[in-house]
Amino acid sequence: MCGELTIENRTYPSSLKLIPNPPKTLYYKGFFRREIFDNCLGIVGSRKMSIYGKKALSRIYKTLNLKSLTIVSGFMTGIDSQAHKNALTSKATTIAVMPCGIDIIHPENQEDLYKNIIENGGLILSEYGGNLRPQLWTYPKRNRIVAGLSRAVLIVEASSESGSLITANLANSYGRKVFTVPGSIFSDTSEGCRQLQNSYAYGVSSGVEINEYFGLYNFGVFDSGEDMAALNGLDEKIVSSVKKEPATLDEISELSELSISELSSKITLLSINGYIEERAGKYYAC
Amino acid sequence: MLVKVESIALSGIQTIGVTVEVNVFNRGLPTFDIVGLPAKSIEESKHRIKAAFVNTNLEFPSKKIVTNLAPADINKEGSFYDLPIAVGLYSAVFGVKVPDKSLFFGEISLGGGVRHTKGALLLALYAREKGIKNIYIPSACSNEAAVVKGIKVYGVSSLEQLFQHLSGEIKIQPVSKISNPPQQKKRSEDYVDFKDVHGQMQVKRALEICAGGGHNIILVGPPGVGKTLLARALLSILPPLSESESIEVTKIYTSVGKVPPHGSLMYQRPFRSPHHTISYAGMIGGGTNPSPGEVSLSHRGVLFMDEFSEFSRAVLETLRQPLEDGFVTISRSKGSLTFPSRFTLVASSNPCPCGYLGHAHNKCKCTRNRINLYRRRFSGPIMDRIDLHVTVHPVEFSEMNQKSSETSRTIKERVVRARDTQLRRFSNDGVYCNSEMTNTLINKYCDLSSDTKSLLQLSSEKFGLSTRAYFKIIKIARTIADLSKSENIKETHMAEAIQYRGRMV
Repeated sequence: MCGELTIENRTYPSSLKLIPNPPKTLYYKGFFRREIFDNCLGIVGSRKMSIYGKKALSRIYKTLNLKSLTIVSGFMTGIDSQAHKNALTSKATTIAVMPCGIDIIHPENQEDLYKNIIENGGLILSEYGGNLRPQLWTYPKRNRIVAGLSRAVLIVEASSESGSLITANLANSYGRKVFTVPGSIFSDTSEGCRQLQNSYAYGVSSGVEINEYFGLYNFGVFDSGEDMAALNGLDEKIVSSVKKEPATLDEISELSELSISELSSKITLLSINGYIEERAGKYYAC
Repeated sequence: MLVKVESIALSGIQTIGVTVEVNVFNRGLPTFDIVGLPAKSIEESKHRIKAAFVNTNLEFPSKKIVTNLAPADINKEGSFYDLPIAVGLYSAVFGVKVPDKSLFFGEISLGGGVRHTKGALLLALYAREKGIKNIYIPSACSNEAAVVKGIKVYGVSSLEQLFQHLSGEIKIQPVSKISNPPQQKKRSEDYVDFKDVHGQMQVKRALEICAGGGHNIILVGPPGVGKTLLARALLSILPPLSESESIEVTKIYTSVGKVPPHGSLMYQRPFRSPHHTISYAGMIGGGTNPSPGEVSLSHRGVLFMDEFSEFSRAVLETLRQPLEDGFVTISRSKGSLTFPSRFTLVASSNPCPCGYLGHAHNKCKCTRNRINLYRRRFSGPIMDRIDLHVTVHPVEFSEMNQKSSETSRTIKERVVRARDTQLRRFSNDGVYCNSEMTNTLINKYCDLSSDTKSLLQLSSEKFGLSTRAYFKIIKIARTIADLSKSENIKETHMAEAIQYRGRMV
């Protein structure tokens, strides 16, 4: 299903009408309905998603009231596409705003995600028809739609000069709430979030504050002290050490005073049971 | 008068019997011709023989001489027909009988001496196979040929000595035992000891498993973390070649003339580290007269490919067949040859073009797109054939001065013991180590308890392992069990093996 609607149309999203330069025409793909725009939360961030960013996203998604929220994002690689993916796995509706003509998929390698969004009742939006290639200037234009549709925007990871900051600034100027996830001071992709937090953004560590802002019901409080009762002393020591800081096998081996071969087999069991996961040779707590 | 002398022709590592026929005519102008598709080096042999005769105080016959290398339709190469031709000529002119059931082989010098010649082991093996009792070869080759039992090896040092032997004036004694072959020089890589490499416990363990079962391994990590050093240290823990392995390796090396004079069998495993600009022909072998490439020169040893991603696509893809089958077949217009190529692949690579992806302190400067393009260079089929996937992390400076780890000697003891277990296990199966197990052998020797099996099934669902990966993990677990002297594969062995699986990146 695809189509277009002009600003005069009564189904045109009202929040987008309020911004200074709303798109005259919106092209869409997917099942268009007015309610989808009721509680839009924009989630954007860096193209270079770190593992921290990914984990932060999934932690926040666990507590967001996704039954009533629509997740809006920009379909870029990194945080954007992860935001879409998480929304799909949690059965939430999601809207992808494209920086290119409605007929092309950008980036091309995310075709599966694109189809998934449409199949699961989401929308693909663009202000450009046909097959216009994305240009440098279309990205910030796209960002204004993301900000304009959303009642609040969550910035997950952003470096000091990133497009995510443009989205945040626009959202702020439209009078929308900006949330941000604090990050490590050593991480490059946390610098933008830190700057935002110093001006108008509100730092969050879960979806609770966001639900409250939208006036939505909080259906559970995130329990950071997961069930570790099942673990014996040594396993618990391993899990709690990687919880503090991701570590390599050598580092854990030194800490736990286990040989690499004993530790490897313990780690396998822990990861099968979902306590630990491995990325690029480092071990993280789930 | 017609005289026949037996010798061989070499084609790669295969041998074909050749009869050298020498006819000295009583009439006709004095000429010396060699027929039977000789290469340039054989054509030139007449000049060497002439000069050698003169310098041995023999008169070179002023007669029409024709030499035929039968069968006449195979191309012949090499300098070793000097000796059979000279013997044939001597016999024809001076009426001395050429001994029966004897092969002659060797290059001669203008002065009448007999020089070291490549291929002596192949000759000796051919002789044994055909039931030929005596071989006459250069004395510099006798150590090499004498490893073959059941034949008499006569080391010849000069034409004069051989002629006197043939005419019964003196007797050359056959070589009875190998006399001090020159010490194979220690390679610089041998000096890297595991105890001198700080930290990197996980990589060391992975290399131990790699050596313990002949598993292929890839090390991925940022520049300067010691990937190359660790790979070279692997040499210090490789088990020595068993005798039959050693013969396989020496056959390849002698066919290209890489066994030194007075050298005998190779007892060190080969370690080849070709530069990444190598051509595909250099890698699998080639040339008009096909010669073995790096994959065959590292047979039963290690092929170390540093900067794996920088090798050209063509070179990487040619590795598929040798990795899977353990041999390569090279076909050229002059014929096709098969060389064995059962090597352990040790590859090292950066995780991304700039090298710092996932580094704790240095920031990666690559875009996602560039990383994807870089990853695409590792083709799936090749990565799937690598058993152990290990990430190498930089060592913190604080770790550098800590207590040193095990020495290579201790690790090597475990490796050798594990390999011995495997040799005994596979004594009737035609393979040498765990990595060569076929699925039938896996079923035969890797009995899994129900707990172990369910652990493997669980993790194969959790981590999305391919069927090939599933069997690879069992093989690794078998090696881990062998290293810890365990008869059965226990759950802990399996769990450790799962840690070395390939990751989707």
